[in-house]
Amino acid sequence: MTRPRLRRRLAGGAACLAVTLTASACVGSSQGGASDNPSAKVTITFWHGWSAPNEVKAIQDNIDAFEKAHPNITVKAVGNITDDKINQALRAGGPSAPDVVSSFTTDNVGEFCTSHAFVDLGPFLTKDGINPTATFPAAQLSYTQYQGDQCALPLLSDAYGLYYNKDMFQAAGIASPPKTLSEFDADAVKLTKATSSGYSQLGFMPDYHGYESTITHFAAQWSPQYFTSDGTSNVAADAGLKAAYEWQKNLVGQLGGYAKLEKFRSTFGDEFSDNNPFMIGKVAMAIDGEWRAGMIDDSSSKVSYGVAPFPVPDALASQYGKGYITGTIVGIARTSQKQNAAWEFVKYLTTDTNAVVSFANAIHNVPSTTAALASKDVSQDPNFQTFITIASNPNSNTTPSSPNGGAYQLTLQDLGYAYESGKQADLQSGLAKAATQIDTDIAQAK
Amino acid sequence: MTTESVHRTAVRVRGRSGAPRPPVSPGLRRRRRRELVRNLAFLSPWLLGTGLFFLYPLITTGWLSFTHYDGFTTPTWDGLDNWVFVLRSYPFFWPALRNTLWFVLVVVTLRVLAGLALGMLVIRVKRGSHLLRTLFYAPYLAPPVAGTLAFVFLLNPGTGPVNSLLGRLGLPQPGWFNDPAWSKPALTLLALWGVGDLMVIFMAALLDVPRELYEAAELDGAGAINRFRHVTLPHLRPILGFAVITGIIATMQYYTEPLVAGQVASGQIGGSGQQVEPGYPAGSTLTLPQLVYNLGFQRFDIGAACVVALVLFALSMLFAAFLMRRRSGFLTGED
Amino acid sequence: MATTHPAPARPLSGPTITSRRARLVLEWVAVHSIAIAAALFFVMPFAFVALTALMSDRQSLTPQMWPNPFVWHNLVQVWHTPGFPTWWRNTLIYAVAGTALTLLSSVPVAYALSTFRFRGRGLAMMVIIATMMLPPQVAIVPLYLIWAQDFHLTGTLWPLIIPLAFGDAFSIFLLRQFMLTLPKEYLEAAKVDGCGDFTALVRIVIPMVKPAIAAVGLFQFFYCWNDYFGPQIYASENPAAWTLSYGLQTFKSAHHTNWNLTMSATLLVMAPVIIVFFFAQRAFVEGVTLTGVKG
Repeated sequence: MTRPRLRRRLAGGAACLAVTLTASACVGSSQGGASDNPSAKVTITFWHGWSAPNEVKAIQDNIDAFEKAHPNITVKAVGNITDDKINQALRAGGPSAPDVVSSFTTDNVGEFCTSHAFVDLGPFLTKDGINPTATFPAAQLSYTQYQGDQCALPLLSDAYGLYYNKDMFQAAGIASPPKTLSEFDADAVKLTKATSSGYSQLGFMPDYHGYESTITHFAAQWSPQYFTSDGTSNVAADAGLKAAYEWQKNLVGQLGGYAKLEKFRSTFGDEFSDNNPFMIGKVAMAIDGEWRAGMIDDSSSKVSYGVAPFPVPDALASQYGKGYITGTIVGIARTSQKQNAAWEFVKYLTTDTNAVVSFANAIHNVPSTTAALASKDVSQDPNFQTFITIASNPNSNTTPSSPNGGAYQLTLQDLGYAYESGKQADLQSGLAKAATQIDTDIAQAK
Repeated sequence: MTTESVHRTAVRVRGRSGAPRPPVSPGLRRRRRRELVRNLAFLSPWLLGTGLFFLYPLITTGWLSFTHYDGFTTPTWDGLDNWVFVLRSYPFFWPALRNTLWFVLVVVTLRVLAGLALGMLVIRVKRGSHLLRTLFYAPYLAPPVAGTLAFVFLLNPGTGPVNSLLGRLGLPQPGWFNDPAWSKPALTLLALWGVGDLMVIFMAALLDVPRELYEAAELDGAGAINRFRHVTLPHLRPILGFAVITGIIATMQYYTEPLVAGQVASGQIGGSGQQVEPGYPAGSTLTLPQLVYNLGFQRFDIGAACVVALVLFALSMLFAAFLMRRRSGFLTGED
Repeated sequence: MATTHPAPARPLSGPTITSRRARLVLEWVAVHSIAIAAALFFVMPFAFVALTALMSDRQSLTPQMWPNPFVWHNLVQVWHTPGFPTWWRNTLIYAVAGTALTLLSSVPVAYALSTFRFRGRGLAMMVIIATMMLPPQVAIVPLYLIWAQDFHLTGTLWPLIIPLAFGDAFSIFLLRQFMLTLPKEYLEAAKVDGCGDFTALVRIVIPMVKPAIAAVGLFQFFYCWNDYFGPQIYASENPAAWTLSYGLQTFKSAHHTNWNLTMSATLLVMAPVIIVFFFAQRAFVEGVTLTGVKG
C-alpha cells in the first residue's frame, strides 16, 4: 500500500535530516587566522562596554590617535556591549562578529583561554619584543591569563580603597582614617547612630549585598590563596579567607545585627545613581573603586570625602596600602580574519604609555602598565594618586581566573550570605563544602 | 463514494480472515493518493515546523546532554557526567525544582480560584460591570517586565508605598522581594494581578449556565452553596480543566518575572565582575527555566543546560499526561 | 455579553418581603464593597506607576505618593533615550509580522485537522498538545546554535519571526477546536457543489470563524509584544534589534537607575497595550470567551 511505504520513507528522510543538521551544528564557527597583511588597508570592529558620554568620547579619542599613527587601519567601535552579547558573538562567529573585544568581567577570561575563543597573545608579544612581566603589574597579568595562556591583556584597571566622610569623622572625633581592622571596627561603631527601627547614620555597610562589600573584596586584605598550584580549591585551608569571613560577621554583630542592617540596606538608592548611600550621607565609610571619586565630583553630592587604602588585618599591619585589583580586559577573537591588524590596535591600547595615561585620566580609571603608573602625566589629584599607590603596591592582589565564568566566586559569596545571616553556623564546614563544590564545578567545566 | 463508505468497505475486507482480498479499484487508489497529497499540502507548514522547531531541538538537546560542550569547541561525549553533576552536585538544581513545583501548585490554584471568584463577583454587579471587567482584565495585558518592575517598586521594603501604608496602619512590613520567605508570595501577588484572562473565561462559562437550572434548584430548596455545587460546578468542569492545564503550561515556563524581580530587587548590576546571582534572595525565586539560561549562556556548560531542559520537558509531559488521561475525547473532538 | 442577575425573579410581595429585601440589599452591599476593594487592588499598581513616572528623581525614593512638582519632562526624556523609538519599531515589526505569519500558516492546518479524516489525526493532535506544553527553554540551546553558527542570524529578530511561518501550536489548537463546532452541512453542501478543499476553506470556513481568527490574532500579537525571553536570547547582542520588553529591562542599568525614569519608561511600554485593548475590547473579550468556552 502506498501509505505505509511513504510514511517510512518520510521518517527515514527526517532522520537523515536530523543527523545532518546535528552534525553541522556542532562543527563550530569558522576559523580565523593571523595571516593578514598588517599594512594593508583594513577595517576592524572593536566592541567595548563603555556607554557614558565621557567614556565613549575618551575611547574615541584613543581610536582617533591610533588611526592617525596607523592610517591603513580603520577602527569601528561599538559600545555598551555586555558580556552576554560578547559570549553570543564569540560563539556565533560570522561577518558581524567583532575582531577586538573588551569586557569589564575578568571572570570569563579562563573560559576564553581554554576554549580559545580569544587567541593566545603570547606569540604576538614575543614577536614585538614585549616582556609581559616587565610591562604589566603582577595582579593585572594574573587575571588576563589562565594556565599559561595569555589570551587577554589588561586595558585599564580598578583599585579598591576606603572612602570616608570627613565631616562625620570630625564630628565623631576621629583624626585620621583607620589603618588596621580593629581601628576600623571601632570607628565604624563610633560613627553609627542607631534609631529604634533603623539608623540615622551607619558607620559602614558590611552586608554582602551592600554593593561592593563582597567577600572577595574584603579577603584581598589577607592576600588569600584561592587555588593550589595544581588547580584544586584551597578555600578550606586558607587561614586568611576564614579570617575575612569571621571579621565580617563580627562587624555585622557589632553594628546592630543582620536583620537590622538588611532592613536599612533595602532603603538604599541604586549604587550608580546620585542616591548612592555614601553620596547622600547615609553611611560614613564605604569600600569602593576609584571611579566613585569621579562620580562624587560630577554629582550634586555635598559630601566632603577622603580616600585611603582599605585597612589591613592587625597581624599584617606592615602591608597597609594594598587593595583588591580588577579591571577591564581586551582580547582578539579567534574568528577574526584580521588578527595582525587587530594586534596593532590591542598593542597600542594596552602598552602605549600616552594612550594608557590619557585614557585613564579621561575615564578616571587606574592605568594598567607599570610605566603608565609611574608617569608624571597621570592625574595628580590626591585622591586619584591614592589609588595609583594602591595599584602599584606589590601586595595588592586579585581573584584568579577560572574556566567556568567565575562560579567559584559565586559559591564563596553564597557561603557569605549563609554565614552572615546565621543560616550557616559552622564556618569551617561551610568552607569545606564550598571547596568541594568549587572542585566539582571546575571538573565539570573541563 | 464518500470517505465513510470507503472506510466501511476496508473494514469489511479486513474482517474476513484467510479469504483472499478483492483487488482495490484504481479509482479508489487515485482518490486515496489525492487525499494524501491534499493532507500533506495543508499540513506541510506545521509538519515542517514541528520537525524543525520541536523534534530536531528535542533530539539534539537529548544528545547534547550527554556531551561536554561550551559553545566554542566541538562537543565531546561525556556519558552520564552531566546528569550526575546536575542531579547530585549542582547546588541550584533541587531548589529550582522545588520552586517551580511550588509555583505550579500555588499560583495555578490561586489564579483559578481568584478568576472564578472575580467572575462570580462581576456578573452580580449591574451597573459598572463593563468598567470593572476592563479594570480587572487590563493588567493581564501589561508586559511582564513592566509589571514586574512596577511591583518591585511598589513592594520595596524601605521606601515602597505598600510598606509605608502598612507602617502607618501599624501592621508588620514584610521584606517582599528582598526576603526569601516573602519573595514567592510577592510573585504570586503579581500573578494574581494578571488574573483577568481567567476571569473573563469564567464569566462567559458562568453566564452560559441555563437560568432554569438555578430556578429549579431553588424551588427544590437548595441554598446558595448547594446551587453552586450541583448546578454551577458541573457546567464549569471543562473550563476549569482548560484553565488548570493552560496555567500549568505557563507556570512551568515561568522565567521572566522571577528573573527580573530578582535582578532588580538585588540591585546587582551585571558586569561588575560577578555572575548575576541566581534566584535572589537566597535562591528563592530560582526556577528551572532560569537554570537553563544560567548554565548554557553564562557558565558555558551547554551539556548541563540540556539536562535541565530535559527535566523540564519530562515534568511538563508528566503533568500533561496526568491531566489529559480522562479527556481524550476533548483531544480528538470526536463525540 | 449578558450581565443579567443570575438569581431567579420572584414576586416581591408577601410576608417574607422584608427579610428577602434585606438579604438582597446586604448582598448588594457585600458584592459592591468587595468589587471596589478588588478594583483598588487592580488599579493601584497602574496608579503608582503613573504617579511615580511624574516625580522628580529625589522624590521617587521617598514614601510620598503625590508628585510635587509634576515632572512631565520625564516622559519626554524617556522617549528621547537612545533606542527607545527603535525598540518601538522593532516590537511593532515583530508583533505584526509574527501575527500575520501565524494566521496564514495556522488556519490551513487547523482546517485540515478539523475536517479531514486520516490516520494519524489523533497522533497529530497529541503532538500539537505536546508542543504547546513544551517550555521554550527546552528547545532553545540547539535552536540558538543553529541560528548563530549556521545562519548567523543572531542579533536580529528573524529567529523569532521565521518559526511563526510554520504554524503556532496554540493557535492551531484553538482554531481547530472552534472549527469543530461549525455545522457540517455547509461544508457538505459545498462539496456537493464541486468546491475544492482550499476554496471551501477560503470562501466558507474562514468567514465563519472570523471571531476565532481575530482572537487568535490578538493573542499572538500580545504574545509577541510582551515577549522577553525570545529577544533576550536572539536580539540582545545588537541594540538595533532590541524590543520594548528587553529594552525596558536594560533601562534599569548602571546609568539609568532612576526609579522615576524607569517608571516613565514602564508607563510608555504599558500604555499602547492598554489603549489598543480599550478600543478593541469587545472583539477581544468575545474572542477570548469563544475559544475558552469551546475548549
